[in-house]
Formats: sequence, C-alpha cells, structure tokens
Amino acid sequence: MREVAIIGVGAHPSGQFSGKSLKEIAHTAIWNAIEDAGIGPRRIETAYVGNSIGGLLTGQEGVRGQVILQHSGITGIPVVNVENACASGATALRGAWLEIASGAVDVAVAVGAEKMFVGDTARSISALASVSELDLSEMGMQFTTVYAIHPKINIKKKMSDYGWSLADLAKPAVKNSFNGSLNPLAQHRRRLSMDEVVNSRVVVDPLTLYMCSSISDGAAAAILCPAEAVSRYSSRKPIRIASCVLRSGAYRLPGDTAPDSATIAANQAYEEAGVGPKDLGAVELHDAMAPAELMLYERLGLCGLGEGPRLIDEGITTLKGSQPVNPSGGLCSRGHPVGATGLLQIAELVWQMRGEAGERQMEQPPKVTMAQNQGGLLLGQDSAAYAITILKQ
Amino acid sequence: MPLSDSFYPEGSDGGPCLRGSRCSECGTVVFPKMPVCPSCLCNGVMAEAGIGRTARLFSHTIARVAPKGFQAPYYQAFADLPEGPRIFTLIGSECPIKEGVLRDGMELRLIIEPLAETPENRDVLAYKYVPAGKDRADA
Repeated sequence: MREVAIIGVGAHPSGQFSGKSLKEIAHTAIWNAIEDAGIGPRRIETAYVGNSIGGLLTGQEGVRGQVILQHSGITGIPVVNVENACASGATALRGAWLEIASGAVDVAVAVGAEKMFVGDTARSISALASVSELDLSEMGMQFTTVYAIHPKINIKKKMSDYGWSLADLAKPAVKNSFNGSLNPLAQHRRRLSMDEVVNSRVVVDPLTLYMCSSISDGAAAAILCPAEAVSRYSSRKPIRIASCVLRSGAYRLPGDTAPDSATIAANQAYEEAGVGPKDLGAVELHDAMAPAELMLYERLGLCGLGEGPRLIDEGITTLKGSQPVNPSGGLCSRGHPVGATGLLQIAELVWQMRGEAGERQMEQPPKVTMAQNQGGLLLGQDSAAYAITILKQ
Repeated sequence: MPLSDSFYPEGSDGGPCLRGSRCSECGTVVFPKMPVCPSCLCNGVMAEAGIGRTARLFSHTIARVAPKGFQAPYYQAFADLPEGPRIFTLIGSECPIKEGVLRDGMELRLIIEPLAETPENRDVLAYKYVPAGKDRADA
C-alpha cells in the first residue's frame, strides 16, 4: 500500500440554505478543494461521493454522486455513491484513500454533502430516523433517544453510575459553542453559557435542545494523491493519512462485555498509525449529542471511565488546551449535515495542521490528529458504521 | 420485517407474544427473527419462538419531539425479555406520560394496540409494554 496525502480541502458553510440545492452546496466544497490543492480538475481520476438522506428528502434516489459532480464539471470518471448514514463522509474518504493506496489511481476526490432543510422539519426528522434499521425507525425510535437510553450509550444511566450532573452533560456544548463562535463555517455561532444549555427545553430527557445537533445543509471535499507524488500535483503542505479505519457494528447480546466498537476501531487506527492517544494534538469527534463527547473521550482512550467532565474542567480539550477536541465547534455548533460531517472533520483538522484555521487556530499547529465519525443504528444494538482517521504532518 | 409479522396478537396461551427465534445449537434467543444465530453463527438452526409476554424495563425516557406519524410527548424504552433479548419498545397508551410513572427494573406485560393515535398509524397495530401486576401505573 502506498502512503496517501491530502492536498486540498474545501467546505460549504453549514446551516440553512433554503435557496440552494444539494448539488449547489456540494459545488462550493468541491471547487474550494480543487482551488485549495491548486490542481486542474481534469487531473481527478475517480470520486467517492457521500450522502445519506438526499434520496428521501430531495427525491433524487439514485446517482446523486454523478449528478453532484456533473454540476461541478467533473464527468466521465468512475464515481462511487456512498451511503453510510452519518459516517458517509468518512466512508467516502476511505474509498478515495484505498484507490490511491492500492495504486489504482493517482488523484481522487472524496465529497460529502447533505441537504436537510426541505421546508418540513417532521419530514427531515423522519428521514434521519430512517438511517436506523427500519424495524427501529418504524416504531418511532429517534437518535436523541438512542443517546439518552440506548444500552450502548445510556447517558441517563451514566449520570447515576458516574455521578454526572446535567451541568457535566452540558460542558461539551458550552466548550464547543465557543469554538464554533470563531468559525465562519459554523451553523450556530452564538457562544452559549452553561445556564442556557442546562435550561434550554428538554428534547428527550436528559438531553436539552442545545445539547443536540440540529438539521443542517452543508458539504465538504478532500483531494488526495500519493504522498510520494505531492510535489507533482500541488504546492500545498501535504497532510498524510496515517490510518483510515472503517468497521460495522457487532450484534450485541445483553451481558456482552466486549469493548465498544468505537474503541475497537480507534485501537486499530492507533496501531496502524503507530501512535497512541497521548500523541493526538487535536481531535474532531462525533458529538451528535453533546454528552456523547464525554463518552467518546473514554472510548478513544483520552481518559478513564467517567473522567470526561474533568478534561473540560481542566481545559485539556479546550481550544487552548493540550488536546483540543472539536476545534471546529463539533456537530452541535459547526453543524451536522450528516453525509458531510466526516469530511468537515477532515477539513478542519487539515486547516489546523497547516495553521490556516483563522480565529480558532490552535497556538501550535498539531502534528497528529484524529477524526472520529459514526452513524446509523442496528437492531443488534450497535451503530451501523464506525470510522476513524488519523492524520500526520 | 413488517411490524405486523413481529408479533402474534393471540399466542398459544391466548395472550399476545413476540415472534423471536431460538438457536437449536446454543439456545440464543433473538428478536426480531433471524435466519442465522448471531452468537454461534450457525445457519438454518433458528426456530420461531413465542417470547416476551412479560419483560423488565431496562431504560426509558420521554421524547418531547416526534417524527411523522407519532405524537409527542411519548415514551421510548428498552426492555429485557425473560428469554434473553433486550429490545426497543414503546409504552402502552394506558400509561400516563409524566416523570416518575415508570421505574427502570419494573415488571412489564405485553399488549398490542395502535402504533400511535395519528392518521398515519392509528390503523397500524404494534407491540408495546405496560407496567404489570403490582407495578401497574394506576395501582
């Protein structure tokens, strides 16, 4: 396998863009990435396009990738449509990475795009629910519920097991809203106080409104080439993909004591990249509901059981800390246009590593970073897709 | 599988039951039915089993927003069936929707009723659980 580098990234801001279609939103991200790399669009040899619920919400059920790319002037090349729920973006990246790592092509683009505002919020929520196995969604199960009471997360139970308070659950939302307030691409740019998060209306007990990511339109893209050939294509400082791991959930029987699938994926990614949790200079992780960030600290090996709130209290995961988490603002603040999220995470980490993240730039550009993206839910009590990417300077 | 195929309104004892499957090799019980045992990975050894006439509440919450076809507020819950599976379930409409009515660990019994009182779902029958016996909400 060849080592692969990211030479260009681009994004469309996240938020409500009622006058824009899915392909228009994607166009901004794709061409920002092309121009960022400084590469001619004809050099792109293959594309992986991630989108999750565009079929249900826009009616374009098939060939969304080709439709999106044609609108951006990219035609004729092999296009692979990627659907992997909220992990569609990271899964698209992995496809492009494999194409280059295997030697099949030299330049590939990974795109993630989602259009969730369609003028009917209940329809958007239903479409989102459908990325769970149908047996669950037709019974009215929602993702907020999954985070609140699902056996594999069960924030409610963590409150009693760990003694976490509502204020503890709110800490990631408060921290990330500050990061998002500095990010011009973020959907929600208002800095939230602890009182505002704790006292916002309850969506699904114990989760309040400001602890939940909202529906969003957005897109991101990345251009990849072999690390050894970067100078042939781009003058940008290359960011290397040290590992790119994808797993599906396991069937969990009650009493199953095996490690969480996010942990299994992270451990594989650490091993392949030859680094450990302490080496990470920044992390973008999947805080679809803010308290999930506390759980993911544990699962990615950043702290021990129940210690999540301490990482924020001590400033370790804040923007000025030693291991900033979600410098972009994360899913709750930057936004969660589901099929785009995985690549929005990658774009943020690339900007931070290059020192191009504007007002939210970390003091020292990080040398090693991780993106953690996951999505969907199966009857077997696990998420459907788990993706971990580790980047190196 | 279609929701209507996931339960019998009247099982062998006259009351409702869920249609799970049991592995004849290792005894693992799953719901909904599967053709392969997720535990021992044997194929073709799963036999249908009527299960879940009772359950124990594992976790629950009240959703304050609803997707199309449902009305907020409504309960969402996970329940442990005595045969083994831990399943997602709704709570029957006889149970008042307010904090403190349900307690994790309480005994439940299976009922069949409309999925939701909405135009989309009032004619769709679904399995749900309600507090059983001495744990009855109105007791």
